[in-house]
Amino acid sequence: MSTPLSQALAELRRRHGDGVIRPGAALGGVEAWPTGLPSLDRRLTVGGLPLGRVSLLAAASPGMASGRLTLLQALAAAASRERTAVYLDLTGSLDPGYLADLGADLGSLLVVTPPSGRLGDGLAMARRLVAAGAAWLAVALPRDVPAAASRGVPERGWDHRLTALAEAVAARRAVCVITAGAPPAALRHAASLAIRCTATGWHVAHGDVLGLRVRLTVAKSRVGALGEQVELLLRYPRPFALAEVVTRPVVVELPGGDGAATTGALRELVG
Amino acid sequence: MSAPAPGRGSPPANLPRGRGPVRGGPARILCARYPHLALIAAWRHHPELRGEPVVIGGAPELRLPVVAASEAAAAAGVRPGQMLREAQQRCPVATFVPPDEAATGALREELLARLCALAPRVEVADPTSWCDITGRHAAHRDEGAWAVAIARAVSAALDGAAISVGIAGSRLVAGIAAVRTPPRRIRRIPPGGEADFLAPLPLGDLPVDAGMAARLAAMGLDCAGAVASLSAADLQRQFGPAGMELWHRVRGEDGVGEERIAGPDGAWPALPALPCSGPAPGRGGSRPAGGWAGSRRLGERIVLEGGVGDLETLRFAVHRAAGELGERLRERGCRAAAVTLAGELEEGEPVGLRITPLHPPGSGAELWPVALELLAGLRLPAPVVAIRLEVEGIERGSGRQVDLWRGDAAIEAIEGAAARLRARFGQAAVRTAELAEDPGDLPERRFRWVEPAAVSASGWRGVDTSARERGGVRRRGTEVRPESRAPAGAVSQPPVPALRR
Repeated sequence: MSTPLSQALAELRRRHGDGVIRPGAALGGVEAWPTGLPSLDRRLTVGGLPLGRVSLLAAASPGMASGRLTLLQALAAAASRERTAVYLDLTGSLDPGYLADLGADLGSLLVVTPPSGRLGDGLAMARRLVAAGAAWLAVALPRDVPAAASRGVPERGWDHRLTALAEAVAARRAVCVITAGAPPAALRHAASLAIRCTATGWHVAHGDVLGLRVRLTVAKSRVGALGEQVELLLRYPRPFALAEVVTRPVVVELPGGDGAATTGALRELVG
Repeated sequence: MSAPAPGRGSPPANLPRGRGPVRGGPARILCARYPHLALIAAWRHHPELRGEPVVIGGAPELRLPVVAASEAAAAAGVRPGQMLREAQQRCPVATFVPPDEAATGALREELLARLCALAPRVEVADPTSWCDITGRHAAHRDEGAWAVAIARAVSAALDGAAISVGIAGSRLVAGIAAVRTPPRRIRRIPPGGEADFLAPLPLGDLPVDAGMAARLAAMGLDCAGAVASLSAADLQRQFGPAGMELWHRVRGEDGVGEERIAGPDGAWPALPALPCSGPAPGRGGSRPAGGWAGSRRLGERIVLEGGVGDLETLRFAVHRAAGELGERLRERGCRAAAVTLAGELEEGEPVGLRITPLHPPGSGAELWPVALELLAGLRLPAPVVAIRLEVEGIERGSGRQVDLWRGDAAIEAIEGAAARLRARFGQAAVRTAELAEDPGDLPERRFRWVEPAAVSASGWRGVDTSARERGGVRRRGTEVRPESRAPAGAVSQPPVPALRR
C-alpha cells in the first residue's frame, strides 16, 4: 500500500540516488584503531580509538599530574610503529628521546610545531597533513589554551580551525587524539570520545618514582558507554635505556576498580 | 711497425668477439643522447632557465665538480667534471643549481618505464640511453619506424628535450653516431658499415688511451681507418691486450670482456654489459639507474686494480657489489630469483656461478650471504680483474612493508604536504627526529631534529631541501631565495631518507 511517506522516499531516491536515505542499521558500526591496551580497547571504547573521530584525553584536575601526556605519547609511539603519525606539539615540551624510549619509530613520526605558537596555525597545519593522508594525529595542547591567549593576545578563530580539522579527520578516517588540561567547550563538543585522566598515585620502588597510576574514565562517548573506568600504570621508561623499550612494558594494566575483568597479575601491554 | 696490407685484419679464431646477434639477424643497438637528466630536472623546476647557461653541481663556492652544463654554459667552456669554481670563472653569468637526485631519479625511472615499453632490453644512463632493437617489432614496420617511436618516447619523457639518435651494430658505434648527429635527427649505420663509418674519425673520438693514441699518431696513424688496416698481431705486439681491444674498437666492435660473459662450459648466453660501479648517480657518473631492467636483471661490476688472486680482496669487492646491488633492490622493493657471480680473468674467459637462493634476496644483507656462497664455489684459474654480481628474475618483493591503510602513495602525499608547510612556516615547523649516534649526558643531546626528504610545493621531490642545504639556487652570482624561508634561528638540518613505509 502506497503511503505519502513511501511515496516521498521513492521520490527522493529517484531524484538523488539510493544512498541518500538508508536505515540506521545499514550505517554500520564505528571502526576503531586498536591501541593494544585491552582495557582501553574492550572496556572504554569499542575496539580502540574510533576512526574518523576526535578523541580527547583530559585532566580531571587541571594543574595536577594526570598522565594524559604520557599516555598520548605512548599511543603515538605505538601508532608510529605502524604508519606515519603526526604529533602536533603546542606545549613545546616534546622530547623525542622519551618517545624513542616509549618505542616510537622516530622516522615515521612527524613533529609539527607552529613557529608562531598559535593554536589555530597548529590545527591548520595538522589538518593539511591529515588531508594529505596522515592516518594518526596526536595533539598536545598547553594547559591553559585557549582560554587564554597566545603571547598575551586572545586567539580567535581557533575553534573554526578545530572544526575543519575534525572534518578532515572524518573525511580521511584518521585517528585524532587531543590532550588538554582543561579542554574548552569547543573541543569538548568536537570530541566524540572524551576520557578523563585522574592520577591515583605514584608508583614508587625503593624510593624512586617509577611510574604513575592513572584512572581513566569515559566522560563522553558517542561511540560507546559512558562512565566506564579502568586503571593503568604508566611506567616511565628509564632515561638512556633504550633497550628497555623492547623488553619491558611502558603501560601496565591494573586490576579494575569494579572487580570485573581483572586478574591479579599485572599484564604487559605495550612493548 | 709497418702498415700491413689490406686483408690482414681478420682476428684469430680464438679471440673473443663482441656480442653477437641476440634474436637472429645482426645485432642493432640504438643510442639516444639527450641533455643530462639533472639538467632536465632543473628545467622542470625552473622553466625560466631554459636556454640560459645553467651549471648543475651546487653553489660555486662548494668544492664540488660540475655534474652537467647546459648548451649555453658548455659553449662558454664549462664541462662536467670541472670544479664549480672554475666553471664560474669560465661562465660568470651561469646559474648554479644544486643537483636534485630525487627528481633526477624519478625522471630516470620514468624514462626507463617508457623505453621498456618499446624495447626488450634497455639501459638508461646520463646522458644516453641504450635500447636493443635487434630483430623486428610487431607494431613498427621497420627499424626506422621503431627508432622514431623510441625517439618520440624519450623526447616525451624528457619534456620535449632535443635528442639525437644513433643506430648501429654495437654500442660503441651507436654512441659515436649519436654524438655526431645533430639534435632531433636519427643516424642509422647499416649493418656491417660500422668500420666504414669509423674509418675517417680521429682516434680521439674513440675510447682509446691518450698515450696509445699519441704513439699511433707519431707513426702517422691518426684515424680509425688507418689503425684498422693494421693486423691484430701487430697491434697486440705493440700494445699488448690493449692493442687487441683497440683492434676491435676501430672495427666498431664493443670491447672485449665488456659485453659478454660465459661460464667454463660456454653454456651461458651472452649477457649485456652490466652497470659499472662508479661515481654516485647525479654526481657526474654515468651509472645506469635501471640496468637492463627490460630483462628483469640488475648487476654491479667492480673493477679491481690489476689482477687479483687474494680471496680477501675478492670478498671485499663482492661485499661492496652485494651492498650496492642490494640497495638498488631495496629501493625498488624487489627481490631476485637468481644470483650470478662471475669473475673476469686476467687471461681467458670469465668464469661464474649462478644460484637460485632458497630465500630471494631483497637487500644487501640478504644478498651478501648468497654472494659469499657463490664466491666460495667459484674456481678461479687466473687472477681476476673485475667482479660481476648479477640478480635476475626480479619481482616485486612480497614481504615489503607497506602502509596497509593508504598505500605508498599516501607517504608521498604526506611528504609533499610537510614540505609545503615547511615552505610556509619555516624549516622547524614539521620535523622528524632521530636518535643521536653518540648521545651526551644531556637529554637534549640524545636526539637531533631532521627534515624528511622534501617535496616542493609543485610536487617536485627534493629540490627544496638540497637548495636550502646548498645555500639556495644561485643565479648570476646572487642567491635566489625561495618565496618563504625559514625564520631566523631555524635550524637547517641535512635531509634524511623519505618517511619509511
